[in-house]
Amino acid sequence: MKRFVLVSLSVMLLLLACHTGADAKIRVVATIPDLADMARNIGGDLLEIKSLATGIEDIHAVPMKPSFVALLNRADILLLMGLEVEHAFLPGLFEVARNPKIQRDTPGYIDCSVYVTPLEVPTRIDRALGDQHPRGNPHINLDPVYGKAMARAVTDGLARNYPEHEATFKKNLATYLQTLDAAIARWQHEAAPLRGVKFISYHPDLIYFAERFGMESVGTIELRPGVDPTPGHIVALEERMRREGIKLVVRERHYPAGLAETIAQRTGAKLVELPVMVGGVPEARDYVSFIDYNIRTMLKGVQGG
Amino acid sequence: MRSITQALIVGTVCLFSTQVFAQGTPGQTRTPDASAQQLRRDLETMKEQMRQMQDKIRQQEEAIEKLSTPAAPPVPTPVPAPPAARDREQLKQEVREEVLRDIQPQLAAASKTFPSQFNPAIGLVIDNVFSYRDHDRANFDFRTAELGIAASIDPFARGYALISGSPDGLEVEEAALVTTSLPYNLTVKGGRFFADFGRLAHFHDDALPVVNRPIVLDRFIGGESRANGIEVNYILPIEQYVALTAGMYNKLGAENDRVSDTVPRGLGEFTYLGHAVTFINLSDDHSVDVGVSYAYTPKIKIDQRAERHLAGIDITYRYLPLSQAGYRGLVWGTELLFNNEKRPIGGFPTDPTVPPPTDFRRRDAFGLYSYLEARLSRRVYPGFLFDYAQDIDRAVGATKAYSPYLTFWPSEFHRLRLQYTYLDAPDTHENQFFLQWTAILGSHIHGFRDR
Repeated sequence: MKRFVLVSLSVMLLLLACHTGADAKIRVVATIPDLADMARNIGGDLLEIKSLATGIEDIHAVPMKPSFVALLNRADILLLMGLEVEHAFLPGLFEVARNPKIQRDTPGYIDCSVYVTPLEVPTRIDRALGDQHPRGNPHINLDPVYGKAMARAVTDGLARNYPEHEATFKKNLATYLQTLDAAIARWQHEAAPLRGVKFISYHPDLIYFAERFGMESVGTIELRPGVDPTPGHIVALEERMRREGIKLVVRERHYPAGLAETIAQRTGAKLVELPVMVGGVPEARDYVSFIDYNIRTMLKGVQGG
Repeated sequence: MRSITQALIVGTVCLFSTQVFAQGTPGQTRTPDASAQQLRRDLETMKEQMRQMQDKIRQQEEAIEKLSTPAAPPVPTPVPAPPAARDREQLKQEVREEVLRDIQPQLAAASKTFPSQFNPAIGLVIDNVFSYRDHDRANFDFRTAELGIAASIDPFARGYALISGSPDGLEVEEAALVTTSLPYNLTVKGGRFFADFGRLAHFHDDALPVVNRPIVLDRFIGGESRANGIEVNYILPIEQYVALTAGMYNKLGAENDRVSDTVPRGLGEFTYLGHAVTFINLSDDHSVDVGVSYAYTPKIKIDQRAERHLAGIDITYRYLPLSQAGYRGLVWGTELLFNNEKRPIGGFPTDPTVPPPTDFRRRDAFGLYSYLEARLSRRVYPGFLFDYAQDIDRAVGATKAYSPYLTFWPSEFHRLRLQYTYLDAPDTHENQFFLQWTAILGSHIHGFRDR
């Protein structure tokens, strides 16, 4: 018994020693791959970056894996999209991750929505209105201009925590923003045919994308955000699509295909399937190729290509 | 211009001179001294008039000068600098002030409710069951209205409580304090809470995947793993998730009546717990949670102060395809429990007038539950539960139950569940039907322990 206790204590001490050991790289955990990609561009080799979501998930239903606890427990920095988009997994993980460096309102907790003016801020909070986000629609990453704002938030957050690397972060940000600016100018030009196009989507994921490229989101397949549709809702939606000549149905790829296909078929609309995060499709390897993919796919849907 | 002025002056002087001479003529009858004085006064008067005239002329000259000068180009009004050229900080300040002016009324309104802003998050779970049993017939059971409140206490701890109202009265299910800033990945929990034994034992009734708690948990633990005591939890600082818990409690089990929660006891009469859990990621979509639990009570008073061992192993397999996790999946959960303790031969007497038993014998008992639940859509979750539990006294045979069920979720906060159970107990065989209706009002966090 004594031997067992001694061995156990030795193992514990060894683990504690590992725990306090310092690593060269800054451990960054991003909730979504978009932020991980931005951090990679801004922090380069200074950072060791992990993303909780892979990009194919519904951001509102990312499974809460215990392996996330281990990642968060050891993180120096947490990058999150904010506006409570990570409500399904982050608060629960915080309860057990016990890492004071990344708790809310600490410098290590970097909310990347801080430079964004949210849309659809509810005037009334009521569960009868669905799964509401009190600070507004959180799907900001689908607008590349807000992507720039997110990159700035990442940079400022990293610089706040590691002022000794501020110059590097800012230099890398400038380069990254140049890339984004060039891409945005190209996208604005390419997306001209999207202007004025009305569409419905499964969930209000595409509000910011629509706003940026002049499209109009006129409804969702979901009855309310986060609430599956009723038959009556689908009938009303289809009637509206016929009445207003809406010829585009967008299915975010993490939602069931069947219903969106049926609605498109019954109304004669084109069905477009889009990822909502980097990594959502193999072509969306990074943030630029993600937006690129969405614009090209949307154009195909509108132009019938 | 200057010549006109000079001519005017000369003319004026001449006129005055003529007047002087004209005045002098009638005065020739006066005496010479008086005339000289008069002349001097007149001269002074003339000088004064001359000064006044010169002033007037000067003023007129200035006026003429002003009028004859060509109109000066209008002074350019300062054009505001374009915003881009403005001082950045000043612009920021102006915007800030503008925003503050706009939101001032709201801030003022909010500050009126400031004292209530520290109120904890509040949620209420309402759980109702309609049941029909072959022998007990039908009933509407109001199972619970469970009020949950939670908040940070200070930088070092948070607290939460779950107070349950049921037909049996009001009961504090949990009221615990949890540290939040201990070093070395440690947390300490104290108060009344659901001890970290196994998996479903620390789920509240309304959060179970089935209508009723598995029989083995009711029989071996005493319902929920409720305990008054203290727990220390540690997460190993490695990439693999491993959590260890050590606990010390008065007793384990909300309905465990064999040990009192209020009578003081020696250290040997507490229950001590050890629990370890880990997670194996088989792939992005497949994972397994494995936990082992061991509760040890050195002396149970009513059992001749004999020791009790309760051990368990729980395995939960999950298939959650990441891209469809909201509406597709499969969970298989199994828990095996093993109980070892001294029990009176023939069991405890139910008649209080009968003297307590004196003849005890060590007994082993075993039980398990296993359930399989599929997610067919965001709303529909069918499942099947199998129960098996031996009698702790081993006086009668084992109890088995088979329970297919169907859960329907109108939304994330609202659930209907239909369950059929075939109960195969030593003394009875029974068909049971249940319809459960559960809803959550207010604050709700997706807790990690309730995964």
